[in-house]
Amino acid sequence: MSELIKADDVEFIKKEMVRYEDKYSAIIPSLYKIQARHGWVSEDSVEELSKVMEIPSADILEVRNFYTMFNQKPVGKLHIQVCTNVSCAMNGGRELTDHICKKYNVKKGEVSSDGTVTVNQVECLGSCDTAPMMQINDKYWENLTNESAVEIIEKLRS
Amino acid sequence: MLKCTINGKEVEVKEGTTIIEAYKEMQEDIAHYCWHPGLSIAGVCRLCVVEIEGNPRLQIACNTEVRDGMVISNVSDKVEEAVRWGLDFHLINHPLDCPICDQAGECGLQEQYMKYGQYDSSMAENKVKKRKVVDLGPKIVLDAERCILCSRCVRFTEEISKTNELGIFNRGDHSMIGTVKDKPLDNDYSVNTVDICPVGALTSKDFRFQQRVWYLENTATTCPGCSTGCSVSVYHNKEGAYRVKPREDKENNGYWMCDEGRNVYKFVNKEARLLSAKTLNSGKLSSVRLAQALEDFTSFNREGKKVGVLLTGQNTTEEYKAILEMFAGADFFHWKNNEEKFNDFDGLLKRGDKNPNTNGLIETISNLKDAKSFNASNYDLTVAVMPENFLVYEDYNEKLESLKASKNLLLFSAAKLPKMELKTENTWVFPLKTFVEKEGSYLNHAKTERRIQKATSIVTEAVALNEFAAAVSRGLKININHHESRKQNEFTNIPGQY
Repeated sequence: MSELIKADDVEFIKKEMVRYEDKYSAIIPSLYKIQARHGWVSEDSVEELSKVMEIPSADILEVRNFYTMFNQKPVGKLHIQVCTNVSCAMNGGRELTDHICKKYNVKKGEVSSDGTVTVNQVECLGSCDTAPMMQINDKYWENLTNESAVEIIEKLRS
Repeated sequence: MLKCTINGKEVEVKEGTTIIEAYKEMQEDIAHYCWHPGLSIAGVCRLCVVEIEGNPRLQIACNTEVRDGMVISNVSDKVEEAVRWGLDFHLINHPLDCPICDQAGECGLQEQYMKYGQYDSSMAENKVKKRKVVDLGPKIVLDAERCILCSRCVRFTEEISKTNELGIFNRGDHSMIGTVKDKPLDNDYSVNTVDICPVGALTSKDFRFQQRVWYLENTATTCPGCSTGCSVSVYHNKEGAYRVKPREDKENNGYWMCDEGRNVYKFVNKEARLLSAKTLNSGKLSSVRLAQALEDFTSFNREGKKVGVLLTGQNTTEEYKAILEMFAGADFFHWKNNEEKFNDFDGLLKRGDKNPNTNGLIETISNLKDAKSFNASNYDLTVAVMPENFLVYEDYNEKLESLKASKNLLLFSAAKLPKMELKTENTWVFPLKTFVEKEGSYLNHAKTERRIQKATSIVTEAVALNEFAAAVSRGLKININHHESRKQNEFTNIPGQY
């Protein structure tokens, strides 16, 4: 039907819409679906989704902008989120973030020039016992050092 | 002559010069409240303090004389610190009501505050900067920093206008009102969001900075913009009307009105109005006093004359009754602006019939003819009542033009008239009152009576049709009910009466 939301995604969204008591409950799974496809959720996608779900685009945009797990701009192939909440901060989470940024010559929240890496400093990811840790796309990497983190990223980049 | 250094510049001054005088001579900035060149020295405000090299304590510039070789500064950190604290003391009991203070803009204390004031709040966290003066739509401006996120406007577009443009985006103290992709907030009811905004976040482009609201009175009346007849308040002062806002009326319009209706104040103000009566004088229309024009018309013998009357649905029922009685036996014509749209309705408030009293006219005058068949040359006397909201009459000029064929013309108009060349025998032009200047009633689309109330007098010479009829029938001896504050009007100034 449209460029931004593929036909099978539309099918998924329609199913989600009847799965819950209220079709508004299907907004989050639908946004996840779009993000899985594009890596982020653009305002254009929000408008497309509004047509599919017959929900005002302002209502969907409110949801997208409320939750930090929805990316509001494009991210690199590897979306690296380094936790800097209490445990991780005490174990060098902030320094780790800076180290990775420096290594790939990229500012926080921006995409590296080769398009492979985006680094974000985030709040607690619920893995305090294995601090410091990072999340790359949807996978956790724990008990990190500067060196082991870069090693992991290098492996995933190739 | 003494040599000294002021703020790093060397100068020479006369013996006996005080430091503040030296500053003034050099046109260097120095704060001072109590010192004045024409008065004695008091030394009480303590804001002109300066640092003098070699002197451990700051001195006041107004009461210290320059000595040879002095090195003086009022821009050092020490001085700034002292001035900041001095200002703090001055402000302990000051109301800081600059926004409504008349001295604002030329106030020394305000200038000092701009330089040294405490801008940041006492909160440890910095204020979150948000968007200001956002052009939210053709009629509305948003200041997101003033917004308290009550969500009234968001719910209005969801529940009332059902247009869903607005949302609260982002989270926590970054939350902000806005539209998707900054699309303009532009619907037929958008200005209601300004009315319901409890703070200054949403303001109306049409009204902002026009008037301070405490200088305006408001009068409860009915919107003449269409046949719904919403209950509204007109806001006015002695210069004219400035805005129209909806007034709670559960049966008719709830709490709302349309954006188009908010324009109805625009044709009532002086700059759009016909200000005086006119009569035909050797082929030209010229202004005369109202009493003179009335006398002139009364002396015209109407006996046995064929009369055609042209009316629109924009006058009150009381006016129609008076005109029907006055010209009994005449042919009455109904001038309709957009008949094919008369029954249009947007489902909320707006109706296609842009006249408030079409039903009043139809009910009052039974054998109305369509104005399409009106021909001024068929009558000895043509009576034409022009619509006050002439903007909704596309054929306004055409109709005005067609009146030139009249043998004798009695013309009523609230609006300023274009230059007219007339070949009529007689023409009398009377300025007409608009809905803010008279009382009366409309019969709306549902045939419910809607009252209008007099808010103010804008054109003192203007008459309502019923006042005109009464004045003519009683031979001018009528006291027309003008606004109380405007007792001096034409009707107490009739020649021969004192």
